Amino acid sequence: MRKIVALMAAGLGGFLFYSTFQAAGAVFYTNWHLPAESKESPDRPRVAFIMNEMDHPFWVEVIAGAEEQAEIAGVDLDVTGIYGTNRDDFLRKIEIAIYSKVDGIIVQGLDHEKFKELTKLKAASYGIPIITVAHDVPKEESLRKTYVGSNQFSAGEQLAAQLIEDMGPEGEVVLMMNAEQEYFQQQRLDGIKNYLNGHSEIETIEAKIGADSNPDISAISDLLNYYPETEAYIAVNAAFTQNLVTEIETRSKVDPYYLYTFDEEREAYALLESGKIDGIVEQSPQEMGKISVQRMKEWLDKENVPLDIEGYFTETRIIKDAAPQ
Amino acid sequence: MKHLQKKIWLLAIVVLIIMVVIWMSLTYYNQKMQDQYNQILERYLIMNELNMVSQELVGSLNSYVLTPSDENIRTVERHKSRMNVLYGQVSDFRNAENASELTNYMNLTVSLVEMAERAINFQAAGETEPAKTALNEALHIADYVSEMRLSVIDKELVTYDIVYREIIDRSEKLNELGVWLLISIILLLLFFTYWFSLRITQPLEKLTNSARQLAKGRFDIKIESDSKDETAILAGTFEQMRSNLNQLFIETKQKAKLEAELQESKYLLKESQLLSLQSQINPHFLFNTLNTLSKKAYMDGSAETSDLLVSIADLLRYNLRHMDRPTALREEIYVLEQYIHIQKARYTDRLTFIHEIDEAGLDTLIPGLTLQPIVENAIIHAVEPSEHGGTIWFRLKNEPDRVIIEVEDDGPGISNEKIDELMAAREITSEKSTGIGFKNVVQRLRLFNGSEQVVQIESERGKGTKIILYIFKKEAVPVNY
Repeated sequence: MRKIVALMAAGLGGFLFYSTFQAAGAVFYTNWHLPAESKESPDRPRVAFIMNEMDHPFWVEVIAGAEEQAEIAGVDLDVTGIYGTNRDDFLRKIEIAIYSKVDGIIVQGLDHEKFKELTKLKAASYGIPIITVAHDVPKEESLRKTYVGSNQFSAGEQLAAQLIEDMGPEGEVVLMMNAEQEYFQQQRLDGIKNYLNGHSEIETIEAKIGADSNPDISAISDLLNYYPETEAYIAVNAAFTQNLVTEIETRSKVDPYYLYTFDEEREAYALLESGKIDGIVEQSPQEMGKISVQRMKEWLDKENVPLDIEGYFTETRIIKDAAPQ
Repeated sequence: MKHLQKKIWLLAIVVLIIMVVIWMSLTYYNQKMQDQYNQILERYLIMNELNMVSQELVGSLNSYVLTPSDENIRTVERHKSRMNVLYGQVSDFRNAENASELTNYMNLTVSLVEMAERAINFQAAGETEPAKTALNEALHIADYVSEMRLSVIDKELVTYDIVYREIIDRSEKLNELGVWLLISIILLLLFFTYWFSLRITQPLEKLTNSARQLAKGRFDIKIESDSKDETAILAGTFEQMRSNLNQLFIETKQKAKLEAELQESKYLLKESQLLSLQSQINPHFLFNTLNTLSKKAYMDGSAETSDLLVSIADLLRYNLRHMDRPTALREEIYVLEQYIHIQKARYTDRLTFIHEIDEAGLDTLIPGLTLQPIVENAIIHAVEPSEHGGTIWFRLKNEPDRVIIEVEDDGPGISNEKIDELMAAREITSEKSTGIGFKNVVQRLRLFNGSEQVVQIESERGKGTKIILYIFKKEAVPVNY
């Protein structure tokens, strides 16, 4: 009996001491999970990377490439941007980057007065180099150091060539564009037209959707009403693709139409896979991110100056629907 | 009471140390926690203050551009220097998580200060328009500072999220620790107090038990104590007292025994003397008369009667002379032979006396009148009742340390109960005998030998009785007859 009591007391005591020490250990454990000391040396260049539609798959890939390269090149990459396409917010981001005295800005080009003013005057006065990525702006107006992205002109040519191959050398082609003129859109258009000029049987129709000068075509449905015979559509501004397909589907089958777009459209690949569109111009977003950071680093290190003012072009290729038409 | 006091002090000190340790560690912990809180809070306050001062700077700049007075410029300068101080402090907050936001934030404030300086310079140079443009720019930048502050603090919240959770978690753990600690300490103190009190009371209880045993008269149980404090001294003293008492007790008991034995031997002697006196009314007269009768018988030509009378006279003389001191066996046997001689005259052929004597043992000392009463007993019980008489064997064997005397008869024997009674009984009772009783003889022999093992009785009913006496040769216990 005495033994049992002693044993029980010993067990209870052991348990209590164990628990007490356990609790004490948890309380007096001094290792707080404080953020680590800044490892980055202050002389590492800080580069701001600014874009619209941060969550867009295209841009996600660009950022992935940029961050990868930043890691290699030893650049502090500060990716900022906006969700959506609000121009004022976008410009505000650029302005903040300039006032924050970053060492360089890589930015999606915006063909707008304020953008040009910011890059030309403000960035220059703060001595901040600017590289445009994916979408360019005219080099004389922005004082950008260089452009990294697809050669939009040749991409337009590629697409036009594909169209001729698919449709044959005659017919009407509607080129859908945003009413607000954008430089990259213009480049693509130039490319397409340049190619189609060689085929006199092809008639091109430029449709600036939402433009004041052309009030009949305020929406895609108007477009279809207006040109009921046309079978070929090229979304020079990729954003119209989804709407176009939806609109056509409400009237007839999509199959007979020749629909082409660029990979900036979120749904482009899904549409291609389901056979609703006929081709996509695929760009190399990861390459763009990579090369833009690399070039910026070279500029900052004064290694490869001056950079090629015309730009560094990344690959573009036509992706065709695998399913037979 | 040094030791007990020490123990009590020890208990108190142990309790005190536990309390102090707990108190100190809790205070230390609290301090640490407070520091952590303060540190984090200070970050926020300073980061925020940088923004507030930025806004005030822009405000004062605005006043200056509108009304360029000395007072206004001083206010602007004051805010600028304050911003520089804060800038230095904020730059210390840089860590891996917030580096880019914080750098942006700080650079924005620098841009703001630069823009403010530009506005002041323009204003000082009298160029109002550029000054106003710069002021507008500064307002923009102040806006951005405000915006960036939100990002920075946002980032802070995210990075310190885990720390806040840890702080909350630790508060809960602290409560838990408090409970465990309370239970543990209570248990520990209970145990310690129990053990401690046991160490004080156990020796005392042992002592109490010993005292109780002593009170009951048991002096032979040793008192032991395994403690090292005052109770050990107490127990030691107590043990000494007990052993003294025990010794005294044993001595007293021995003395009493000796006294009793002495008393008894004296009594026995008195009785034998009295008996002998009774049997010899006037020994000298009788002795002389017997001698005269012997001469007369011899003269009358009865030589046999004369010898007989001489034997009686010798016996009588021996009795008178040797009552109070040990005699040699030789003399005792001589007297025994005289006695047999007399008895032979009485029983004639009915009595056969055979003796085997080892001459070497004859010098051994023996109390007087020892053998004669035993032989007399044998004659009375074995020879007298029988019509055909009986035989008595008397043997004396010499051994290195003792002499064995056997008196054997062929009478009817005696019962075992009787033997036991004869052997056991110490009290002296009168019995059927001419002279000194058997028990008297045995008792005296025992006292003489200083041992109980002096006599052995072997008897078989119808065959006879054998009495064996052992007389030790060593110096006899000094008994004063």
